[in-house]
Amino acid sequence: MRGKFLKVAVAATATAMLATACSSGGDENEPSGQTGGTLRVYNAEPAFLTPSGGDDEPSLYVIRQLYRGLVKYNAESSAVEMDLAESVESTDQKLWTIKLKSGYTFDNGEPVNADAFIRSWNYAAYGPNAQNNGYFMKRIVGLKDVAPADPDGEGPQKAPEPATKEMSGLKKVDELTFTVELDAPFSGFPTTIGYPGFFPMAQACVDDIAKCNETPIGNGPYKIDGSWQHNVAINLTRSDSWQGEAGKPDRIEYRIFADIDAGYAAFQAGELDVLYYLPPARYKEAQAQYGDRMYETPGDSFTYVGMPLYQDAFKDKRVRQALSLSLDRQSIIDAVFDGRYTPATGYVAPTFEGAREGVCKYCTKDVEKAKQLLADAGGWPAGEKLILWANAGAGHDLWLQAVGDQIKEALGIDYELKVNLQFAEYLETADQKKFTGGFRLGWGPDYPFMETYLYPLYGTGAGSNNSGYTNPEFDALMEEGDSADSIQAAIPAYQKAEDLLGEDLPVIPMWWNKVGAVYGENVDQFVWNAVSDADYGATSLKQN
Amino acid sequence: MGRYVIRRLLQFIPTVLGTMFLLHYMTSLAIQFSGNPVRALFGDRTPPPALLQAVTERLGYGDPCLDQRGSPCLGLFLDRLQNIFFHFDFGINLRQREVTDLVADAIPFTLKLLVIAIVFEAVVGIVAGVLAGLRGGSFTDYLVKISTVFIISVPIFVLGVVVREFVGVKFGNVLRDQDWIPDVISAGMFSPGFKPDYPLASLVIPGMVLGAVSLATTARLTRTSIMENIRADYVRTARAKGLTNKRVIGVHTLRNSLIPVITFLGVDIGAAMAGAVVTETIFNVPGIGRLVTMSARTGESSVVVGVVTMLVLVVLLANLLVDLLYAVLDPRIRYE
Repeated sequence: MRGKFLKVAVAATATAMLATACSSGGDENEPSGQTGGTLRVYNAEPAFLTPSGGDDEPSLYVIRQLYRGLVKYNAESSAVEMDLAESVESTDQKLWTIKLKSGYTFDNGEPVNADAFIRSWNYAAYGPNAQNNGYFMKRIVGLKDVAPADPDGEGPQKAPEPATKEMSGLKKVDELTFTVELDAPFSGFPTTIGYPGFFPMAQACVDDIAKCNETPIGNGPYKIDGSWQHNVAINLTRSDSWQGEAGKPDRIEYRIFADIDAGYAAFQAGELDVLYYLPPARYKEAQAQYGDRMYETPGDSFTYVGMPLYQDAFKDKRVRQALSLSLDRQSIIDAVFDGRYTPATGYVAPTFEGAREGVCKYCTKDVEKAKQLLADAGGWPAGEKLILWANAGAGHDLWLQAVGDQIKEALGIDYELKVNLQFAEYLETADQKKFTGGFRLGWGPDYPFMETYLYPLYGTGAGSNNSGYTNPEFDALMEEGDSADSIQAAIPAYQKAEDLLGEDLPVIPMWWNKVGAVYGENVDQFVWNAVSDADYGATSLKQN
Repeated sequence: MGRYVIRRLLQFIPTVLGTMFLLHYMTSLAIQFSGNPVRALFGDRTPPPALLQAVTERLGYGDPCLDQRGSPCLGLFLDRLQNIFFHFDFGINLRQREVTDLVADAIPFTLKLLVIAIVFEAVVGIVAGVLAGLRGGSFTDYLVKISTVFIISVPIFVLGVVVREFVGVKFGNVLRDQDWIPDVISAGMFSPGFKPDYPLASLVIPGMVLGAVSLATTARLTRTSIMENIRADYVRTARAKGLTNKRVIGVHTLRNSLIPVITFLGVDIGAAMAGAVVTETIFNVPGIGRLVTMSARTGESSVVVGVVTMLVLVVLLANLLVDLLYAVLDPRIRYE
């Protein structure tokens, strides 16, 4: 799930509207955003086309048109809006009651009722099904019963067969109502359920998941035409059974590419209407050639240099502050990434509701202060090198070297790059907390709620807390936010928690990405959703 | 002849088993030394241990020997062989698809691409070689010699990208602006890559790129061979008998001259398969080559072992076929 509360969301849409308004002299004076036509879009090969399995971008782009969930996100504000749900309510933020609208069905005629959701969530969570989106069910009571852990932690013993196939936290009340019980209060729950992992699945789909993966049985505005032509194309056409607001194009054709450069060539040759991602090397060229048809917006993916707090040299926060103070992020971005990123001054994406500028006071270059702080902390261990880690083959060594150079220049600490681990082993090293120095990692949000940037990375014992940061005060603030009465009421607590990070620097924030897409001449309105990215169902084509 | 074929087929067994073991060992080592590929599926998000285990188990990376660095994982190898030979089960990839399905999807594209490449390289290469060989030192000869040197010295990945950029995109865009040119030419043949709307036309240029590199060798081989044979005694005899020039060249000279060329074309099927790995990625052809590239990148051992084993069989069969073709071209060659 990807999220961002951005203010300038549809700048390109506005430009496009303006352009059509200006050019529309005489008889081509049609209302903008008309329906019809075939939209051809770039995609990579999806991993799965089932809600329980697809967790990668290419899958989500297709799944979001085939299926619909309880809530959706506003394209501009990314606020949560009801979609299939009539209401999502709770008095204690722990037991949630979800009421569904009536009249919705799957493409095969099955009703979209409480069972459809309970069935889908249970299927995703059940261990032996090995569904990637089982991860997202982690808050629901009873997950441990359907996905028990291996008794001795790692092989050779196999995990025991789960005693039950259903999570005890999901209960059907009546045909269109069900309750969800969480392990702990979580005020952000309504923001999470718009993620495709929480979309419903038909009984026929769960009965034969392999077939459903090839020929999905959806409940959304589009249905599949034919079946998934692996590595070639996925064609969608308007679904007759959809009761909600219809999609703009009559057909959406996903062309599948293995290589973004091949996709870019196809776009240049006029074979694609939308390319949601630009090859970095072609960015400047694309900007020159398609400037007015290029869509750029601040992104929400966070790059940081983690600090191994489990190593003695990094235990004193003044050392971490000194390292962060010696970096000029903008100059690295300009030199290595054509200026396409935004320097990070906090821990929550600037596009999110509740995000503030300058939370991290040590994130702008100040060599004098850095030297002072390092001296106060007793200096860097003499004769030791600062080791900087990154995974191999992804080009991270370029910017990490710039980081090392700047630290060396400012503080006189010699550095060494360690960039020989493949991604899988690198992640295992992170999980086992075996880094010996700063390590690069990233983070993307799971849902449009501040918490997604805070607890998973810095909460005591949280899954992706790779720096080993522990702060009872931080944990208490997170709990306060989680059990707040509403999404808005949770923000002040989370902001206080973020302030703690700005002082403690468990990780050194580096930058936020920028999203770039190009669209063709026959696209009338290109729509970017603040949370779920390109919205093909809402993108319209010029009609002749 | 029959005994010869049987003997050759029996030799396949140790070759295939040996290759499979090497592949198995190498992919196991890759996992032992670079980590569980399933972990990379989850990226920066650390999955709950139970989920990671469940997925690892389901995808067949749960064997404890994959944690022991350097272990040849013989047990796993035997399981794999059993599955492949007794159940025709090549395993699944990280997306839980059967390797046999993946190959079945991909093979038609690669076959079409290979046929186009081989036909192109054989026809154009042999014609150019014959023209150059018959008139040594002429303009045609120099033209063939220079152009082949030029083609040989450009690596296929450079050639591919340049052709995609200039022929597929730039020249193609010019054609697409002309209304009188049929779509199958402008949008199909001159597209920058494979297009599902024109499944055959859009493979022509990628196939030609794939054939181009070996085309040069074919032309050179034919040229040399023709030049050698044209002065041979039996050609002089044929001429002395008063046969027409067409028959002397077409039957007497060419037939003998083609033996080394056929050998080369046969061996070249293997090389073309390797070239397909590059060409298919550049031109977005959903074939075997692209499949292997992607699987190697993500460390999917079952796919790599399965697909490469099948490729080895293809190469072995092609070589056998070439050896048998010798007898057709040159009746003096006998097998026993």
